[in-house]
Amino acid sequence: MSTVFYDRFERHSNAEGLKAHATHYCPGCGHGLAHKYLAEAIEELGVQDRTVAVSPVGCSVFLYYYLDVGNTQAAHGRAPAVALGHKMANPNAVVVSYQGDGDLASIGLAEIVSAAQMGIPLTVIFVNNAIYGMTGGQMAPTSLMGQKTATSPYGRGVTAGQPMKMAELVSGLDGTVYVERVALFDAKNRARAKKAIKKALQIQVEGRGLAFVEVLAECPTHLKMNPEETEKWVKDNMLPVFPLGVKKDSVPEPWFHPAPPSFDPEKVLKLVGGSSEHLERFCTSFPTHLDPHDISLKLAGSGGDGAQTAAMLIAHAGINEGFDATHIPSYGPESRGGTSYADVHVAETEVHNPAAPRPHVLIAFNAPSLAKFGPTVRRGGTILYDSSVVKEPGTFGEGVRVIGVPMTETAVDLGKTMVKNIVALGALQAATGLFPKETFLTAVRHALKEKCAMIPLNEEAFAWGVKTVETLTS
Amino acid sequence: MPELKERPKPFLLPEFCKGCGRCISACAKHCIEFGKEINPQTGLVPVVIDLDHCNACGLCITACPEPYGLRETPVVLEFELEDPERLFGTRHSTAPEPVEIPAEILPLPASEPLVIKGNYASAIGAILAGCRHFFGYPITPSTEGAELMAKLLPLLDGVFVQAVSEVATVNHIYGTGGAGLPCMTFTSSPGFSLMLEGISYMIGSEVPGVFVNVMRGGPGLGNIAPEQADIKLGVRGLGHGNTHAIVLVPSTPQEMLDLTILAFDLTFKYRNPVVILSDGYLGQMTGKVTLPRTMKKPGIPTWAVYGDRNHRRNLITSIYLSETDLERHNEHLNEKYAQMAVEARSESYLCDDAEVVLIACNTPARAAKGAVQDLRHEGVKAGLFRPITLWPFPIDALLPLARKAKRLVVVEASAGQLEDEIRLALSRTDVRNVVPIEHVRRMGGMLPQQDDIVAKVQGSRPIAGEEKAAMRPEVHV
Repeated sequence: MSTVFYDRFERHSNAEGLKAHATHYCPGCGHGLAHKYLAEAIEELGVQDRTVAVSPVGCSVFLYYYLDVGNTQAAHGRAPAVALGHKMANPNAVVVSYQGDGDLASIGLAEIVSAAQMGIPLTVIFVNNAIYGMTGGQMAPTSLMGQKTATSPYGRGVTAGQPMKMAELVSGLDGTVYVERVALFDAKNRARAKKAIKKALQIQVEGRGLAFVEVLAECPTHLKMNPEETEKWVKDNMLPVFPLGVKKDSVPEPWFHPAPPSFDPEKVLKLVGGSSEHLERFCTSFPTHLDPHDISLKLAGSGGDGAQTAAMLIAHAGINEGFDATHIPSYGPESRGGTSYADVHVAETEVHNPAAPRPHVLIAFNAPSLAKFGPTVRRGGTILYDSSVVKEPGTFGEGVRVIGVPMTETAVDLGKTMVKNIVALGALQAATGLFPKETFLTAVRHALKEKCAMIPLNEEAFAWGVKTVETLTS
Repeated sequence: MPELKERPKPFLLPEFCKGCGRCISACAKHCIEFGKEINPQTGLVPVVIDLDHCNACGLCITACPEPYGLRETPVVLEFELEDPERLFGTRHSTAPEPVEIPAEILPLPASEPLVIKGNYASAIGAILAGCRHFFGYPITPSTEGAELMAKLLPLLDGVFVQAVSEVATVNHIYGTGGAGLPCMTFTSSPGFSLMLEGISYMIGSEVPGVFVNVMRGGPGLGNIAPEQADIKLGVRGLGHGNTHAIVLVPSTPQEMLDLTILAFDLTFKYRNPVVILSDGYLGQMTGKVTLPRTMKKPGIPTWAVYGDRNHRRNLITSIYLSETDLERHNEHLNEKYAQMAVEARSESYLCDDAEVVLIACNTPARAAKGAVQDLRHEGVKAGLFRPITLWPFPIDALLPLARKAKRLVVVEASAGQLEDEIRLALSRTDVRNVVPIEHVRRMGGMLPQQDDIVAKVQGSRPIAGEEKAAMRPEVHV
């Protein structure tokens, strides 16, 4: 008797009476044998302390009554997913997913197939007795053609499909390294089953991959036979459909030995982008000439115009200066079809509403954006549009300044169309004085610190934007 | 000369034999037969063994499905066999009592504020809270969170697993959370629906885990724009059974970080999942995010099934076969839910003298905050009450405001799910005559706008969505 079984099955009805030492299984059930071979393998490999057994839903739901190892009970079909969670939490753990046929081959197909494809070292014990046990004798995915069950009273018919051959299926998946189908109906096969379960466990202990053992087992109760007849039934009826043997044995060298996670604060800070680098500030006060507390801007164009990048740079610039700022890509039906709109706020202390339904400033990179958002600009606000692509800007509300800047042409002249958004930022600076020039340029340089070669071009684009507006307005 | 070792012969206590007879065909010497006498203790008919011809091959032992059935004869075969207690001892497990491995708080160097999206802020919060295990399935508009985890965790020797589905995701979390480690996922409404089964199991099994649901438009596939229509799922619908979890509702990128860190504390404090309901707008919103000055290196709690000697005796399960046990377990969970009442959090903005109290959370709370400013500017004494937890609902903070106010206006991006929570919470207080509760609601990915809220309060014009809403019958369930 393996020492991996509890001395007393306390979890089995609080070990009342004989339950302290007897399983809940019906006489002759194959589960008890699979439990025994698993317990013996755990003992022989000396991994009792490291083992986590994941119990399924079905008759073996109470595996945790018996095995003196770490135990987790999973939802129906999900045992391989739970097992994977355990293995990833502690790669040193030896994790066993123990499942029946309804659990593994029906409701849990996605979980077993994905685990078997991933190939993280796990041991899967699949007990196939061709029927639902605990639920009460219904058709299993592995029930045989013509087999009469509670839900196939006239025999499993063609519309139910052929029984699932899981050992063959998972052996065809890339992550499994060892797959064998064994049986329990005679001494020779029981010896093989025991050996296979031990091998499947050892492969995981050595970090070699996912091993899968399908055990053809007996369910005398729901096959409505005595145990001896059930053994014969498995041999005569199941074997032709579920041939025994090794389906795959391609055990690789040990490979699974992940390092423990790092909790080095310096490393964490660097990775999340935290830096103590303090960017120089140039603002002497909040730009109250635009609004006492909170300035909103809308940048609108097509995808590729750089509206989002320019918006981000404004937000960064504002935050570098010690203000609050937000940026959101616009939502709503108008954000479909390759258009790209951004709402930006810069507030002295706190941005309340990050949306910009009535902006102080609009930067429009094309005519539809100008037509759509031009009318929303506040009285006293400013519209900057790309006069390279918008030829007839139209008229907008009283007291709204409308300034055309050849953003695209300037960028093309500089050799890179993509810097037209930086031309726009230069124009914004000159037209509104939102921040000093150096504030914008510091944000641009900081954003390009990984691509320093791009900095001069962007500085030039910014300068052209400034100059264009200064020329136009002087 | 080596001593010849005799192989032990089988031994059977009749009360542990179910009489299945699998040993009979296994025995080549025909030593075992079906019995004829009913065992008075079990009501079953055990096999009868005659060891005269036994050659101790052991095949009958391998054939017996019962752990305490046919066994090798113990070395001491005495009268004591009659007493299983004395034979087997009374220990349940040889494993030791688990010892807690405590978490460590580590100082984090000072840094300048980050300028990042809400989804990124939440992911960074998780990393600072000690989360090194992420499981998820990509779904818009939550994917930035998963993407950042996919980028950062491998560099920290952490684990990022893109699961086969949201169903698998929550079960990976069940496994890693059950092992006692902090782990999380990002998802959005349809994905959250799929996770509810697993969340019920986690609550039942008392497994921690953090779920960030960046809510989008529904029902069904809906769209990827922001909505708040999963409030009922988070607050009243976490799968089957008597389930509850703390539900946090951030409204800024900074809160996405802060509340994610808080969520990890709470999920371990109560051994219960924590849900963060964000919205599609907030997930995409970039803002200023200041990092804390500490981070956490998690320990392993005593209850975990970690897969080592220290935790060997533990069990993670939600099955309680006996009705009395399950009722007791439910009572225990409900006591825990009651203890969570102290976690209710909220923020009041200009509410001290407010005659009109707006109530909103997530992004709509920001439009509402803007509206409060506009209204104050126009001489209306408006204020904003912003729940930070939806479950437990911060009714204690709302109640004094509700008593003083002349109007409550609920601003939300759903068909009244927030308002239902407010009404339910008020109904459980001593307030019998609540001031009129009005609302500004949008759905389908539209958000309540600042101007609409102002117009609603001032009654100056019909607001978007209200005309149609007036034609809709009120649904009472």
